[in-house]
Amino acid sequence: MSDSAVTPPKWGTTEMLPLPSRFNSAVRERAARNFEATGAAWKDVVFDREFDLFSLDDARAVEQEALDSGYRFDFSATVSLESEPDKYKRPERAAAGFADGAVTDGRRQVGVGDNVIRKSETVTGPVALISKVEQVMSLLADGVPPGTIAVIDDSGGTLTAPIIEGFAGVICLGGSVRSHLGILAREYDVPTLMNCRIDALQDGDVVEIEVTAAPPAADAYETGDTGHARIWTIESGN
Amino acid sequence: MNTGKTSYTDLLSANNYIRQLSDTTYWLCITRTVQESKLFPMNPYMLLSYLNSFYRLPTLLREIDAATPAEELGDRAREVSLKVDTVNAAWGMPSFYLIGREMLMNWNLIGPGDAVDDVVDVLDFSRRFNLAYHRNDGHVTNKEFGDRSQFLPERTLQVFESDLHGVTPGDRLHTAATKLVAQLSQYAFLAHCECRIGLHNSGPYNFGDNRQLVVRDFFDLTEGDYPWLDGIATQLPFANLTIPIVFKDTNFHLMDDWASFEAEPSYDAANIAAVGMYTSDALTDGYVPVGMENAETLAETMEQYREILNEATADLWKRIAGWSREQMIDAGALVYSSVGKDFAHLAGTYRQDDWFQIDERVQRFKPLMNDEYGRDNLGEMVGLLGFPHQKTNEYSMARYSGLNQNMLTGIPYAVLTDDDFAPTAGDRLSGSSSLEPKTGLWTTSAGRLEIDDYNRRAREFRPEVLTEPYRYLDEEWVKRQYPTSRADELYRLTQRGSRTLEGRGAGLRRADLPSTPAGG
Repeated sequence: MSDSAVTPPKWGTTEMLPLPSRFNSAVRERAARNFEATGAAWKDVVFDREFDLFSLDDARAVEQEALDSGYRFDFSATVSLESEPDKYKRPERAAAGFADGAVTDGRRQVGVGDNVIRKSETVTGPVALISKVEQVMSLLADGVPPGTIAVIDDSGGTLTAPIIEGFAGVICLGGSVRSHLGILAREYDVPTLMNCRIDALQDGDVVEIEVTAAPPAADAYETGDTGHARIWTIESGN
Repeated sequence: MNTGKTSYTDLLSANNYIRQLSDTTYWLCITRTVQESKLFPMNPYMLLSYLNSFYRLPTLLREIDAATPAEELGDRAREVSLKVDTVNAAWGMPSFYLIGREMLMNWNLIGPGDAVDDVVDVLDFSRRFNLAYHRNDGHVTNKEFGDRSQFLPERTLQVFESDLHGVTPGDRLHTAATKLVAQLSQYAFLAHCECRIGLHNSGPYNFGDNRQLVVRDFFDLTEGDYPWLDGIATQLPFANLTIPIVFKDTNFHLMDDWASFEAEPSYDAANIAAVGMYTSDALTDGYVPVGMENAETLAETMEQYREILNEATADLWKRIAGWSREQMIDAGALVYSSVGKDFAHLAGTYRQDDWFQIDERVQRFKPLMNDEYGRDNLGEMVGLLGFPHQKTNEYSMARYSGLNQNMLTGIPYAVLTDDDFAPTAGDRLSGSSSLEPKTGLWTTSAGRLEIDDYNRRAREFRPEVLTEPYRYLDEEWVKRQYPTSRADELYRLTQRGSRTLEGRGAGLRRADLPSTPAGG
């Protein structure tokens, strides 16, 4: 047995995050057990008999042990949740806690974000909440209604790839001004706030986004000095 | 026992390179951006891609290196825009390979001495490529150069400065260029399954009068290696486009090893002063102008390409939206693990299955790759550096974090004397993919070709500036030899096809160049 391969490292203990710790420990345990069962020298197993060391069935067993214990995974891509709904948690979005704020000048602040491109005026329009492929397909077929401000919980650039140019503004609930969506917003000159924290919005709510705010400084994501662009709902009747 | 192939100095060099990549990659990962997509299971595919690189890359690079040495490939990449560039080849290829090694080490499926010959060979190839690629600025990485990238020679930059067309905000060419760059960026993210490796930026270069040039490249835009681009954007005559852009009053203070930039004031299309368009690939002898005859023709060409790519974005998006999770994962993993594929195109050794299969040794890990594990294991490995074996002794302080941890693990020198390790992962390549197989042609500057024809042409081709007697004529030589006929010949090779500098030779300085409208 090779000491260097299976002896726990001197200065480390285990992973900090729960699922890597769980899965990686399980893989290590299985690999050690499987190696011992070979009765062979490490150098003759590591690549020449690597499926004896860890197999597809081992990986399936590691996943199944977690699922059997009641663990359900966070999803990131909608295709994951849709194709394997039993393995993933349903999405929950915590309210950001702005809703109790006062109405001033007919506006109520409902969130903050990081401005990508500084404009001379704020942008106001009805919101459309977009998180699914089907919604994009529909907007692609029917066109984006003029003036729409998209609320997108994806800082990637591909989910809304064919329609982003049609938005009057974008509120992105993740990422940073350097994310792919931030890059594309800059290229397309679409007023956009990234890394937004907002209270719940409904399709059709009219919001104003403060794209006149200064973009975050170069080191803002290291210092935490973010969230200076405000988002308001326009209160009806005012 | 060591096979005798790897020496002590090989290991010293390899470990130095590992530490540089480790520090730089850590800095990039914690400062640049978050990798996220609601469309693609991005983190799971990234983890699989690293494993695919680990098992396949050494074998593929050895074949390429034997056909065309890495330093010659670096010479090729230094002359024009090729996809073996800063983000793909200089940083990504060795880093992805080493990150795959970290994953396997953390699982105790390999030890730090295993695959030592592979690690040394991959890093040796990368170092020789990078040294030649960066020959003109004399650095190995953008980070070493203070996050700057200046690999083009004066003779190329003079052609750009003279031939680019001046623009002002609101004119037809300014609008066409701005819209095309936006469309290209959008499409490149989509065609590359949300990763940024279809886009490349280099520079900045000082263009005088408070102006800077940034060279923006977009790769694999139509039928070629990616099976999912069969039938997509086929009206586009070229797979790669380069758009050099001159900015006024903008300082690009950072051009990182992911080939992305930061500027002060921030990137603003209103500051674009001049633009051009070119193409280049494994078969072009220098940059080939595209629509550069005059500003109107360039604007019209850009508008036409933008239309094609706008339609292609919708077509491709619909195709991808119909994919299964496994197809999305396979495609993304293959985009990442094939970052070195254009080395094979340059060497004429390209085979589709080499680069577009998930190795059977990688397939076994797929059940682990749910979205949460993908996200958190990646974060643990490249952000927190929380794998137990990534910790170092309690007195040590890493370059950027100051903590006792390194992202990438060195090779223990004891492999020179110990014997219980396997020096290579082997050269058996067997794999599969859940994607529709490729059936289309390869789009090149020589037309749409079958792959055998493309490989044959690539093997027979070498740019003239890289043949004798020009290959070793660098700017230290030009500094004193510019009045000679040989220097004129060298410059005239690059000036071929230039609208304004054809045949002008080596003696020109900035003041001698025909000024662009924006240059005043």
